[in-house]
Parts: sequence; structure tokens; C-alpha cells
Amino acid sequence: MSAAGAAPAGASGARAGLRRLWPYLAHNRQRYAGWSVATLGYVALVVAVPLLVGWAFAAAQQGLGASEVARRCSILIGVTLARGALRYWTRTVVFNAAREVEYELRNDLFAHLQRLPQSFYFRWRTGDLMSRCTNDLNSVRLLLGPGLLNLLQTPILLASVLVSMLVLDPRLALCVLIPYPAFLLVARGFGRSLYRANLAVQEGLAELSNFLQERVSGIAVVKAYAMESASAAAFRAASDDLYRRQLRLVRVNSGMVPILSLLPAAAMGIVLFVGGREVMQGRMRLPQLFSFAMYVYELSLPTFFLGWVATLVQRGLASMQRIDQVLSEEPSIADRPDAVPLGRLRGEIEFRGLTFRYPGHEREPALRDLSLRVPAGGSLGIVGPVGAGKTTLVSLIPRLFEVPDGHVFIDGIDVNRIPLGTLRRCIAMVPQDSFLFSMSIADNVAYGLPETDPAQVQEAAERAQLAKDVADLPQGWDTIVGERGVMLSGGQRQRTALARALALEPTILILDDVLSSVDAETEAAIQARLEEAGRGRTLLVVAHRVSTVRACDQIVVLEEGRVIERGSHAELLAAGGAYARLARQQALEEELEDADRQAEAVA
Amino acid sequence: MSAAAGTAARPSALEALHEEEALGKAYDARLLRRLYRWVAPYRTQVALTLILVAPMFVLEIAPAWIVKTGIDRVIAPAARGAAPAPGASPAGWADRIFVPPAGIPPLVWLGLLYLVAMSAGAALQYAQSVVMSKTGQAAMRDLRKDVFTQVQRLHLGFFDRYPVGRLVTRATNDVENVAEMFSAGIVALVTDLLKMIGFAVVLFLVQPRLAAVTFLVVPFLAICAVVFRLRVRDAFRAVRVRIARINASLQETVTGMKVVQLFTREDRNLRDFARLNADHRDAWFLSIRYDAALFSVVEMAQGLCVGIILWVGSGLVAAGTLYVFIDWMRRFFQPLRDLSAKYSVMQSSMASCERIFQLLDTAPAVLDPGLPAVAARAAPARRGAVEFDHVSFGYAGGDLVLRELSFRVEPGEKVAFVGATGAGKSSVIKLLERFYDPRSGRILLDGQDLREMPQAELRRRVALVLQDVFLFAGSVADNLRLGRTDLDDAALERAARAVEAHRFIERLPQGYATEVRERGANLSAGQRQLLSFARALLHGADVLVLDEATSSIDTETEALIQKALRVLWQGKTALVIAHRLSTIQDVDRIYVLHKGRIVEVGRHDELLARRGVYHRLYRLQYQAEERRAAG
Repeated sequence: MSAAGAAPAGASGARAGLRRLWPYLAHNRQRYAGWSVATLGYVALVVAVPLLVGWAFAAAQQGLGASEVARRCSILIGVTLARGALRYWTRTVVFNAAREVEYELRNDLFAHLQRLPQSFYFRWRTGDLMSRCTNDLNSVRLLLGPGLLNLLQTPILLASVLVSMLVLDPRLALCVLIPYPAFLLVARGFGRSLYRANLAVQEGLAELSNFLQERVSGIAVVKAYAMESASAAAFRAASDDLYRRQLRLVRVNSGMVPILSLLPAAAMGIVLFVGGREVMQGRMRLPQLFSFAMYVYELSLPTFFLGWVATLVQRGLASMQRIDQVLSEEPSIADRPDAVPLGRLRGEIEFRGLTFRYPGHEREPALRDLSLRVPAGGSLGIVGPVGAGKTTLVSLIPRLFEVPDGHVFIDGIDVNRIPLGTLRRCIAMVPQDSFLFSMSIADNVAYGLPETDPAQVQEAAERAQLAKDVADLPQGWDTIVGERGVMLSGGQRQRTALARALALEPTILILDDVLSSVDAETEAAIQARLEEAGRGRTLLVVAHRVSTVRACDQIVVLEEGRVIERGSHAELLAAGGAYARLARQQALEEELEDADRQAEAVA
Repeated sequence: MSAAAGTAARPSALEALHEEEALGKAYDARLLRRLYRWVAPYRTQVALTLILVAPMFVLEIAPAWIVKTGIDRVIAPAARGAAPAPGASPAGWADRIFVPPAGIPPLVWLGLLYLVAMSAGAALQYAQSVVMSKTGQAAMRDLRKDVFTQVQRLHLGFFDRYPVGRLVTRATNDVENVAEMFSAGIVALVTDLLKMIGFAVVLFLVQPRLAAVTFLVVPFLAICAVVFRLRVRDAFRAVRVRIARINASLQETVTGMKVVQLFTREDRNLRDFARLNADHRDAWFLSIRYDAALFSVVEMAQGLCVGIILWVGSGLVAAGTLYVFIDWMRRFFQPLRDLSAKYSVMQSSMASCERIFQLLDTAPAVLDPGLPAVAARAAPARRGAVEFDHVSFGYAGGDLVLRELSFRVEPGEKVAFVGATGAGKSSVIKLLERFYDPRSGRILLDGQDLREMPQAELRRRVALVLQDVFLFAGSVADNLRLGRTDLDDAALERAARAVEAHRFIERLPQGYATEVRERGANLSAGQRQLLSFARALLHGADVLVLDEATSSIDTETEALIQKALRVLWQGKTALVIAHRLSTIQDVDRIYVLHKGRIVEVGRHDELLARRGVYHRLYRLQYQAEERRAAG
């Protein structure tokens, strides 16, 4: 992914990016139209000012009297003020339009990301996505703001100024232009060296980052083998290398400004000495010389900006391409045209000969030829070693991954034909990692509800054995759980996630190993409430502990994507297979815990 | 910040965190004073850049003055028909320079002067910029080294809480940001200020009345600049707070996308997000308005000045002086234009500075003893006796994982620790390596408390082999040496031979010089294990601490590892977290841990005969292995 993004914008990629950008520009066409007109007015005033300076100066030179001088100067001042006002207007309009496009594009990116399936998030790293939604979006904004501003304004401005100079005095104008081609070449050379030096610095930085990343990840080894001073020496070497690269950049960078500022200076020198001679020979008058001098000033800044604008445009196009890559991702899990409109589901689940492979893992199926049926209101326990496919199995019910047609059914209907909203609103799944959002604990419990209703929240929390914990928290329900819920203990996080699911009053409740961080006593309490709450719901429980699934109507043991044992708790114990072994091991652990408690009681 | 936060109903802890991160003052004397420590070694260079401002200023005012001389003394008189008199009545020594040597036409002479002034100005500007940026980079190189030293000094517990990425950012992006302050921030600001004062002074010297009238614009401009600057700053703060919120929300939604989709929260999230996004956009609209206003006001003031100079000046001074006024006023205004850019550079530099200092201020929780403590103790007899004396330990803020744990291992003894996950086995290892300090109790190596021993010495005496073998980018040889340049190739090979690693290393494409890919991706788990054995052997420690790999390894390699382990621990005290049947059968003693306590002790057969916890644990954990080995 990142490799594709790092590549420079190819012509076709840039075109695709522009195509994507076009509707956003079209949205803001009124702004852009107004801006174009204003730009023309602005350029006209920019061209007028030097002429007015010469005109006002001429009044004094020719001794036309103080009042004439005052009149011409006031007109000059008036025009400069108008120029300033137009400049304000053009800048704000185009910058605002750029922010508006940024706003729309960001919203669309966000909406699109929410539509993309889990398989997308397996392929793309969060850091990469974030970088596209922040850095790249910013580059696009710069392209549309200062980039576009200068792209339109600078050429018009340069051309108009040149034309005025040619009209004023063609010979002098041509002389003034002499240094420009040479400087353009120099500037291009500088641009290239700058690019190379910049790249070298970026590489140096990347190397240093990698080194740091590695040493910090391996800090235990660094410390255990007393490698600190050797590491420090290696870091110094990398740091010195970066320093040397930076010095190259410093030299190019430092040369750029003085050399480029020589250009207007040289032009000014020519105006003075070629123009001065013309004045001395009576072919030109002093006020015109003044106008010329003013034009040279007007030329200096835009020339200066040209190189910068070129970089902005290049970077902006490359970034738009990277954004386009995200927006071009197909939301492969969406409502089908043949979706069946349904009311509430009853909750009968069936897998028929399901073989499932994760995209990109073409050979190794995560689930192999799996058939299972859970009647509406029934319960299923799923146990098995890590990597057996337990989570995959339950994730397919709410269509977190692309489910092959004709293998997974709810109420006898292929899940792919159930509208996604209907499907997911009937299912509450508590995923393994119990991800919480950095909002209040009440808002987290009410996450799936249309709004935070205290009564519903309380009810769900009671059932998940969370209410007591909340009462002990200093801010109670208003406690902010922190990033990913760091302010809560592992057990509290799991119970909050459980409450969040229960609050939905789902038809199908899926618990993916959610009570692993909850102690045995609390687990027993939760189970008692679950049985009560689970009445009338279809319940699927993935667990490592036998005690968690014991009460289920049906239990399956998965191994390498296959069902290797199935039956009730008693049946499986009697069979003496994998399930029975697991039960024995856990019985031992429980026994140890009991012994522990007794020891504590004695002490 | 408070104003911005007040508009949101209830900023979350996360947002508060981001807000704190996003807001930096543009100028913080405390931070600058502290930063001076890294600049001090380069103070001559800093002084040089400031001294250079004076000649640079002279060269900046010179071109316009040469033009003025040309207009007033050569061009204008010639246009009026009078004889050019560039050196007429030279007013002082400085004026004499404009008198052309015999034979050179006045205008050509002035042209040469112009050329010289222009080139010299550019050269000086280049020199100043190089010295300034170089100084910044050199100072930052030193700062970066100090950051790294600090990172290595910190105890392991610190890394549990501090994400790697953030640490990397400190030493790279943040340091780069601070360097910006040198090339574009504070020094440039000081230079600009000095120049503005200089222009004001010379303008007054040339024509006080004209200067006074022209500078009437300045107070008005100054007020505008200050007002808009303040507005821009406030608007900018709002922008920063809001973009931080947007990014936090985006990041959270992307990481929690599964939950978002499971709970069909998409529409509501989009509404909330669009609101944050619109807040951000609106804050920008305001910021853009003030910024553009500042820009335009400066430009208007510039135009106004030209008008005033022509109006008032044309009756007062000659044409050349008018030109000088226009040129110098222009230069006077220049710095005001990119004030905003410099301001934001300073702001982000200061914020980065603050974050770096926070890291530098973090006190390492595991410290070496003070010098007296080291000096006071007698040279210990190095034998390798390990003792845990009523050791209790828990991770920061967590429950106890070791409770009053006591045991003693005599020199040369081999002991194994067994128990369920979370029993505290790996904590024993971490404490013995002093990655953490115990909450209470003592750990003794040859009778000496670990806390009274320099960490480097302790770690020389205790060799650690972790289950997850960490390999660094570099060659196989580098990974065996681990920075010890005193080990020659023969020593590496001897060690590798001893632990059965030589054969596979030799078969690698470049042998010992083969590059190990990221974390050893091109080596198998068994090979990595053997490499780590060779590392430990080269380390020459008295005590070996080993966390056996749990990953399944083919039987052939398994046999190699077992053989290598016997070589490795020969003559050493060994503490092993055992996952292999053959290991537990071989050790002198087995400690059965449960919830941070020892519940049973004894040899393998004794413990089996006792038919207690160990017996059951053994049946569950090791018998499967036995069956696999048999079958």
C-alpha cells in the first residue's frame, strides 16, 4: 500500500486524482468565478500603480504645482488602497474555497471509511490511513489554496507587467529581461539540488527512526546485554550521518534566497544604468524610469513564488492520488439489490458447508466445510485452541467479512440478502478486545442506542454486573473511560462492552471470549443474569473456559477450522476427548485457586 | 483553550490530552533558557550571525543609495543639460567612494559599485544563513543524542506505557521542529527587528521631516498588526484544538471500526464528525480573514507610504532621495509580511521543545547506587548465588504478581520454575535482571542487594535468554557480538560451535556476515534460539536466566537445542522457566509457582511421587509433549 503511495504521481494517477477532485471544485464554482474576476481587477491595479507613481512624480518634476501633485498622489493612494482591498478579497475567497473543499473531502473520506469492510482494515495500516486523511488532505488543500491562487494570478501578473514594460520602453524592457532566462536555469538547478538534498535528509531521518524504533523495541536485550554504550555509539554515527545530510541541505537552502534575490537586484541595476543612460540622452524621462523601477519590484515576488508553487502543485497532485486510492476502494459489504426487506429477525442461525478464506490467504481456509444449526432462542458454545477459527465463525454472522453466498443463513435467509442495517441491529456482538470509545461510561453503554437513556443504561449495566463498579467510580456514569478505556480495569472494560451489547436488546447475542479478564465469582454472577437475559435470544458464546460454555444447549470444539467434537457438556465430558481434557485442566486451576483462598483465610 | 473547550459540551480526556499537545506558546522564556544549554557550545557562531547583521544591513541599504547618487548627481543633471558631478562636494569619507577613478565614466563606476554591493550582500546573506542553520543542526544533533541517552537510561516499566512511535517522534520530528527555530524562527525575528530599527534610523538621518511624515503610517500599522496578530493567534489556537479533535476522532473511529459497524453507528458518527469538521472549517474562515487582512494592511501601508513620500517629498528632496525612501520603506515593511509564518514556526518549535524536555525530565525508576555505596562494598566473590528474600512485586498500579517470594539458588545449581500463565514466572526473571525493582523484600546476588550494584555489572554477571529472541538489523556476527568489539571472529565461531549454531550459520548465504532481516524473519524459531544461546555463552556470565521457547520446533532442532542448553549452563547457576520435559527432568530443583507464591518444591520425580499440584500440571502440560515425542 505504502509503496504505491510513495511512488510519484504518474500521469494517469494524477488524472484520476483530478477527476475525483473536480466535483468538489464544481460545488464551489461561484466562489471560483468571483475570484477569477477579482483577480483580473487586482492585476489591473497592480499594473496601474507603477504608472501612477511615474505620473505623480512627473507632476513634481514638471513643476505642475502642489495641488496637482496632491491630486495625483491621492489618486495613487486611492488605487493602492483598492489594490489592497482586492487582494484581501481574492485571498480570502480562494483560501475559503480550499477549506470548504477540504471540509467536504474530509467528510466524504470519513463516510467512506465507515462503509469499508474489515478486510480493508486488514490490508491498510491505521497510520497510513491517518496520514492520507491528514497530511495528504493538507497537501490537496495547499494545492487548492495558495497553489491555485498563484497558478492563476502569477502568469497573468507576469504577462501584464511585461506587456506594460514593453509598451513603456521596449528597449529597456528587453534589457531588463536579459537576466531572467539565466536565473530560471539557476532556479531550476537549485530546485533539483533542493529536492535531492531534501530526499537525502528524509532518508537519514527514516534510518534514524528505524534504528530508534528497533532499539526501543529491543530495549530488554539492550539492557540485559549492557549494550547501552555500543547503542549510543551507533546512534551517534546515524545522527552524525543525518547531520552531514542536513548540512548539504542547509547549504542549498541558504544559497537559494540570496541567489534568487540577486535577480530583482540585477534587473534594478539594468534599469538604472541602461535607463539612466537613456534619460541622459533624452530618450526617456525620469518619471518613466521610476515606473520601471516599480515594475521590477512587482516582478520580484511572483518570480520568487514560482518554484514554490511548482512544488505545491506536484505534491498536491500526488496526495490527491493517494486520497483517490482510498476513495476508490469498493465497500464490498453493503446492501444488495436483491436484499429482502424484513422486520425483526427470529434468530435462527445456520451454517451450511461453509468454507471461508480470508482475502489474501487464498490457500489456507480459516473454516473448512462447516455445518451448524442454532435454533431461534437456542445457545451454542464454541471452544478450541487459538487460531481454530472461533472468532472468524461468529464474525461472519453480522457480515464483518465478505461471506460467500449460500452458506450462512438467518431465519433461512442468506445473510447476504438481509439489509445490513436490519441484520446488525438484531445482532449484538461483544468482540474480544472490548474496544471502548473515549466518552463517558454511560455513553459507551448506550453506544448502539439512538440516545443515552439513563434507565436503559442502568438496566444493561445491572445485567453485566457493571453497575456496582460504576457506583464506586468518582464521577459515576460521567466517568470518561480514556483512550480505548484505559481508565478502567480489564474486567471493567469487558463488562462495559457486555453492557453495551445487552442494551441493544438483540435477537442474537454473540460473546467472543469476553469474560477472560473477569474473576470466577463475577463470571458466575454474570452468567446467572445472562441466562435470564438470554431467554428468547439466540446466544453464541466463544470461550476458553469450560465453565463459560457449560450451560449452553450445544457445544462445539473447533480445531483448524473444523468441528472436531459437538454435543452437550455432559456428552462431551463422557466422550473423553479434547473438551474433557480442557475441563480437567481448568478444574485443577480452580482447585488451586480454592486452596489459595483457604490459605489466605488462614493467614 | 478554555474558550474553545467551553464550546464543546464535554471534552473527553483524550481531547484534553490532544489540546494540551496542540497548544504551544510562541515564546516561552523558561524553555528558551533551558534550550540555551545546547546552544552554549556554539555561542561564538550565534554571536557571529548577530554581528553579521551590521555589515548585511549596510549592504542592504547601499544599492538604493548608489541608485540615488546616480539619479541625483549623474542622470538628473544630464537630463537638465548640466555636467554630471558624481563626486561634487563630497560630504564625507563615505561619499568619496562615489568619485570615479580617472578614465571611468561615472555611471559605469556606480554600476560597478552596485554590482559589488549586490554580490557582497548576497554572499553575506548566504554566510549568515549557513552559520545560523548549521549551528541549529549541530545543537540539535547534541540534543538528539541526549534524548537517546535518556531513553536508554529509563527503566523498562516506562516503555510499557510510552508507545515506541511517540519516542521516535521525540527524537526525530520534534528535534527537527526545534531546529527550525534557528533557521526560521527566533534568530530571523531578532535579525528582522534589528533591521527595521536600522531602516528607521537611516531614514531619519537622510531627511528627518520626510521620515517623520512617512512614519506616521507606522503607529497605525503597528496597531493593526498587533490587533490582527492577536486575532490570528486566537483563531489559530481554535484551529489547532479543532484539528486535534478531528484527528483524534478519526483515529478512534478507524481503530474501533469493527464496533462502529457492529453497532450501526455510522450515521450518527458522520453527523458528529461533520460537526467537528465544520467547527474546524469555520475557525479557519476566521483565521484566513485576519491573516489576509494583515497581509493587505501591510501592502496598503506600503502603497500609502509611496504616495506620502511622493506627495510630501517632491517639494523637499531630490528625485534620488525619493527613490531611497521608497526602497528603504519597502524593506522596512518586508518582515511584517511573513510574521505569521515565523510565528507558527516558533509555536510548533516551542511545543516540540516542551515535549522533549518532558521526556528528558522523566526520572528513571531503576537507578545505579551512588558512588559511596559502590566504593564502600568489598569486591564480591563472584560465584553466582541467587537469593530472593521475601520479594513482593507488582507492575505500576497493578495487583501483586509476586507475594513474599523467597528462595535460594546455590552457585552452579540449576532450577526450573513452572506454573500456569500469570503465576509470576517471568516476573522473577525481570526482577533478577533488575528491569524493575521489587515493592518490598530484597534480591541478592552473591549476598549483595541488586540495588547496591551498578546495573552494568549486574547484567554482565547475569545472562538473559528470552523466549522471544530479539534480533537487531545487522549481520549474524553483529547479533552475536551485541556491541562488544573485543570479541574476535574466532571467539564467535567457538561459541557458535559449542551451542550447535555454527553449522546452520555456515550454511547461510554469507555465513556470519549474512544480514538478519527485520527481527530475524529469515531465520527459523529454532535457529534464533540457538543464536541467543551463543549470545549468552559469549556473555561469560555466572548466572544464566532462560525463558524457554514454547513454540513448537521440529524434533531434530529440538534435540540440538537440548544439547546446546547443557553446554550453555555448564558451570553456571541457571534459572529456567521450563517448557520442555527434558529440562525439568534435568534440573536440581523445581519451583511450582502459583499466583506469585511457591506452592511446591522438589526434584521432578519427588514432586511426581507427591501427586500434588505438580503431578497434575505435569500431566496437563508436559504429557502432551511426551506423547508427541513418542508418536
